[in-house]
Amino acid sequence: MSAEGIFPTILASTVHDIKTSLGTLVNLIRQLQLNQTKEQVDNILQLEFEANRINHSLMQLLVMYRIDRRSFSLNIDEYLVIDILNEAKSQQNGHFQRRNIDVQVACDEELLCFCDFQQVSNALSSILNNADRYCRKAIRISAVKERDYVTLCIEDDGVGYPEQLLASDLRNPSDPDWVCGNAGLGLCFVSAIAHFHKNRDSRGFVKIDNHSSLGGARFCLFLPSQSV
Amino acid sequence: MKSILSGKSILIVEDYSVMRKTIRDMLYALEADDITEADNGENAIVEMVAKRFDIVLCDYNLGKGKNGQQVLEEARVRQLLAPNGIFIIIAAEQSVAMVLGAMDSKPDEYITKPFNAQQLFSRIERNLRRKQYLENVEKEVQRGNYLTAIHNCELLLEKDDKKMRTHVIKRRAELATLIGDFDVARRLYWEILEQYELPWARLGLGIIEYQQTHFEKAVSIFEALLQENPMYLEGYDWLSKAYEAQDRPFDVQEVLNQAVDLSPQSILRQKRLAETADKNGNNEVAEKAYKAAVSLGKHSVYKTPADFTNLAKLYSKIDASPRALSTLKDMRHEFPNNPEAELRSAALEVQLHKQAGDDELAEKSLKKALALNEQLGNQTPKDLQLDLVRSCIIQSHAGQAEQILKSLIKTHIEDDSFIDDIRHMQSATGMANQTEAMIQATKRELVETNNKGVTLYKQGRFNEAMELFEKAMSVMPDNKTISINMLKILIHDLKNTGISEEKLHRIQTLFKKCRQVGIDAQKLGIMQLEFSKVLQRKKDRENA
Repeated sequence: MSAEGIFPTILASTVHDIKTSLGTLVNLIRQLQLNQTKEQVDNILQLEFEANRINHSLMQLLVMYRIDRRSFSLNIDEYLVIDILNEAKSQQNGHFQRRNIDVQVACDEELLCFCDFQQVSNALSSILNNADRYCRKAIRISAVKERDYVTLCIEDDGVGYPEQLLASDLRNPSDPDWVCGNAGLGLCFVSAIAHFHKNRDSRGFVKIDNHSSLGGARFCLFLPSQSV
Repeated sequence: MKSILSGKSILIVEDYSVMRKTIRDMLYALEADDITEADNGENAIVEMVAKRFDIVLCDYNLGKGKNGQQVLEEARVRQLLAPNGIFIIIAAEQSVAMVLGAMDSKPDEYITKPFNAQQLFSRIERNLRRKQYLENVEKEVQRGNYLTAIHNCELLLEKDDKKMRTHVIKRRAELATLIGDFDVARRLYWEILEQYELPWARLGLGIIEYQQTHFEKAVSIFEALLQENPMYLEGYDWLSKAYEAQDRPFDVQEVLNQAVDLSPQSILRQKRLAETADKNGNNEVAEKAYKAAVSLGKHSVYKTPADFTNLAKLYSKIDASPRALSTLKDMRHEFPNNPEAELRSAALEVQLHKQAGDDELAEKSLKKALALNEQLGNQTPKDLQLDLVRSCIIQSHAGQAEQILKSLIKTHIEDDSFIDDIRHMQSATGMANQTEAMIQATKRELVETNNKGVTLYKQGRFNEAMELFEKAMSVMPDNKTISINMLKILIHDLKNTGISEEKLHRIQTLFKKCRQVGIDAQKLGIMQLEFSKVLQRKKDRENA
């Protein structure tokens, strides 16, 4: 095997190894939060936030590696959308509380969706992680069913996405202008996951704009759903 | 409100103490109050033998010894889980689920590290609710009362709980397939597919075609399914079965090879690949897969001495006697004081010594093998008995060969593929004509026994008929015709005489057995229907 052929595999195993350590690290950080002064808790929460970011990046890297090797597939089942939203939110909860961010969740408790629970909730969580970074004090997470899609949206009250990002093709990471930076990479990843969701002729996709009801960025994930 | 976790027995299996403590603290925070811990796979099994847990959280990577998947497999095979118990595998990476792609044992869910209490709770809760929702269905399935189970599914569907509907339909469709009610199963799968193109529903349609012996249709469904979902390992397993039914051994090998490439950890798939490649004469593939099976078997409940002897046999075929002998040595090490392993080893050594020109040692090994076979009685696996026949013939013990062969043919007369194995072996030894005569005679004898039994029953001589069948069954324990005829008579008798616990138990045991020996699902479905009608009529009469 050529060195070139080996490298991706080595990279993947290394990432895997780092992720294992990171998992322990995150859990230790959570334990540290107990019995600490307010100020220390703030620092620890920041630590957790950064560790989560690293974890998301690594996880995305592994999924992208598998997609590249054509050994990726979804595990589709039917889930309550509210569970997906709560799961995504729970990964950022500590940090939201620390920054006093007002996070609203708006979703019909009975709304169902066919999707890969883990992939979708992780993808949304990484978008939330970015919204957390760029918002001022409010985030809105919502989901509705419209015709053949369930749409999951994350809106914030920050300055919105930069023009460059809005103009780019999210599914094409070879566009170097926007792919640098966590926001771009995260969107590229979510788009890939969205695209893997398909039902007959429709496929999932991502749309971003600055028409947030809170005045900032708006991210929407469209997942194909059963026709009514 | 009381937490859903309170009162539930939970087992945490995790080798890393820091992680174990973290999970335990999370669970306590969620008001769990009955937590046991194990620090490796072997200890997990010890705990599970002592107690049936409601929830098992098991890390995949457990260091030395069994991994999480192997713990799960052993728990399933040895029935160490509570009836409604859930098993969650904790993985370091999301793709573990895809890579494992276990053949028989799937956990209820995977959870990826790192996770928080909310994530852990939502997964446990989701699975507990599903299990509880289907409790009355699974309870009846366990007892073998498929029709009651189906009835209970219908009751659940009538409730029209949208959250559970898809899961209930899935189970309902599986049960319909199981009893051979294919039209209903097909309709249910289509109902799902009209909503969403779910791989399991498509697979279900293929399985129905397979069960109806429409193999061409089944193959095209499975092939299209894999085209769309190249990582869907169950699709490969079914496609390989369908190819097998079409007698396309090289396609079987190709498909299994693809599946093994995707998921090298599945020991059962490695074994199937090895055996298929071995029969196809593809020694290289066979060797690799046998080796994989041996190495995966180290901590697996599916470990058998045959994994080793199959590899050793392959080596002897390609004239690699030293490697064959060292494989046998490895086997003795893995299975100390195991009569089956000793017998396998001895039977093969006859051939190896003969190859090496050492007649004396060959004869010694055969003597040992025959003595061990005597000791094992009818517990000697069929493939091993055939090995023994081969060894007897090599050493010119024709009488003994014939004796074993006779009983083999009797026991497995309906197992076409094994009978073919016998023919295949005998054609190489020049005893083919004699063997064929034995096969035909046994077939005739079987028909006669059955006719006689049925006649006796029709003459009202129930006890004599049962006695005849039971005697025949002791010689041919896995015989389908005898089993199904006994079942027919028992049900018919139930109609005419009273119901007793003993009779019901006998029928249910026989149903179970009929399924085990592989009697056509549709045939059994009709009998099930008949059985429950009889029961219903009796009940109605009692109530009237």
